[in-house]
Amino acid sequence: MRFYRWSGKLTLLLSLALPQYASAHLVSSRFGEFYSGFLHPLTTLIHLLPWVAFGLLAGSQKLALTRSALFVFPSAVFMGVFLGANLPQWQVMEQLNLFTFLAAVLTLIAVSLDKKIFIAMLALFGLCHGYANGYVQLVGLQLFLYAAGVTLAAYILMIVIAAVSHLLISRQTWGMIAVRALSSWIVAIGLMYGGYLLFSAAA
Amino acid sequence: MNKLKWITGLLLVPGLAHAHAEVGVAGGLISGFLHPINGLDHLVAMVAVGLWGAQLKNPAIWILPITFPVVMALGGLLGLAGVAIPGIELGIAVSALALGLAVALVLRPPLWVAATLVGVFAIFHGHAHGTELPSSANPLAYGVGFVVSTGLLHLCGILLGVLNQWRLGERMVRVLGGLIALLGAYFLGGVAGLV
Repeated sequence: MRFYRWSGKLTLLLSLALPQYASAHLVSSRFGEFYSGFLHPLTTLIHLLPWVAFGLLAGSQKLALTRSALFVFPSAVFMGVFLGANLPQWQVMEQLNLFTFLAAVLTLIAVSLDKKIFIAMLALFGLCHGYANGYVQLVGLQLFLYAAGVTLAAYILMIVIAAVSHLLISRQTWGMIAVRALSSWIVAIGLMYGGYLLFSAAA
Repeated sequence: MNKLKWITGLLLVPGLAHAHAEVGVAGGLISGFLHPINGLDHLVAMVAVGLWGAQLKNPAIWILPITFPVVMALGGLLGLAGVAIPGIELGIAVSALALGLAVALVLRPPLWVAATLVGVFAIFHGHAHGTELPSSANPLAYGVGFVVSTGLLHLCGILLGVLNQWRLGERMVRVLGGLIALLGAYFLGGVAGLV
C-alpha cells in the first residue's frame, strides 16, 4: 500500500519535472482526424437532428429492429464517408439529406415498419449522411481515422437515443407520447428549414 | 460545489465554445428561442394550448401540443414562400382570445374540432415567424430554437394544467384562461386601433 502511495507521488513529480513529454498529444499527430470526424456530425445541426430522428425511429420499433439499427446505421455511415471522400462532390446530397427528416414523420405517426424496409431505409439514410460527411481531402490512414470518428459518433448517438426512447416507451405510459412529441419538433424544424432552402434557392 | 467549479471554469474560457462547424448557431438558437417568449401574443396563445389540452385530458393533452408546432411550420412555409395571408396580427390576437375563453369556460368540443382550431391558429403564428426566418444568422438554428421554445411553452401550459386535479386549482386554471382571453381582447383592440 505504502509502495503504491509513494510511486504515485513519484510519477506526479516526474510528470511535473518533465513537461515536454506531455505535448505528445494524439490530437497533434494522426488521431486529430479521428476527433475531427467524431465532432463534425455532432456539432452540425443538419446531421445531428436527423440522426436524433433515426434514433427515435429505431427506439420506437420492435426490439429486434432497434438492435439491427445499431449495426446498420453506423456501417452505412462508414461506407458513405469513403464514398464521399472518393467520389466527386455532389452538392445535391445536402438537399437529399433533408428527406431524412422523414424518419421523424414516421415516428410521429407511430408506424411499425417491416424489417426489410426499415433496414433499407436506415442504410440509405446512413449512406447519404456519410457521403455528406465525407467531403474531406484525406487519404489512407487519415481518411480511415476520420471515417472511424464519424462512425463512432453515429454509433453512440444511435445507441443512446434508441435505448433511451425504447426504455421510455416500454416502461413509461407517457414514453411514446414524449417520443412522438420530440419527433413532431424535428418534423417542424425540418419543414421550416426545407422551406427556407427551397424558397431561398428559388428567389 | 464541484458543479460550481466546473461552471466557473467554463465561463472563464468562453472562446473554446466557439469551435463549431456551423456559423451563427448560437445567435440563431438564441434569437429563435427568444422570439415566442418576447412576443406576449405568441407566449399566451402557446401556454393556452397546453392548458386547454390538460383540461381536455388524454388524448388532447398530447395531440394539441403536437399539432401546433407541425402546422405552425406549415404556416412558416407559407410565410417563406411569400404567400400573403390577410389579417395575420388579427388571427394571432383572436387565437389568444379564443383559446383563453376555451380554457376559462372549460369548453369541451370534439377532439377534431379542438385540433382544427389549434391548427388554424398555428398557421397565423407560423406565418409571422416564417417571414423572419431568412434574416436569421443561421436559419436552421433559428428553427430549432423557435420550435423548442414553442414546445416548452406548451409544456408550461400542461404543467400548469396539473392544477386541475384540485378544485381550487381548477378555478385558478380557469382564471388564467380568463386573463389570457383579456390579453387577447387587448391585442384585438390594438389591431383595431382602439388601444
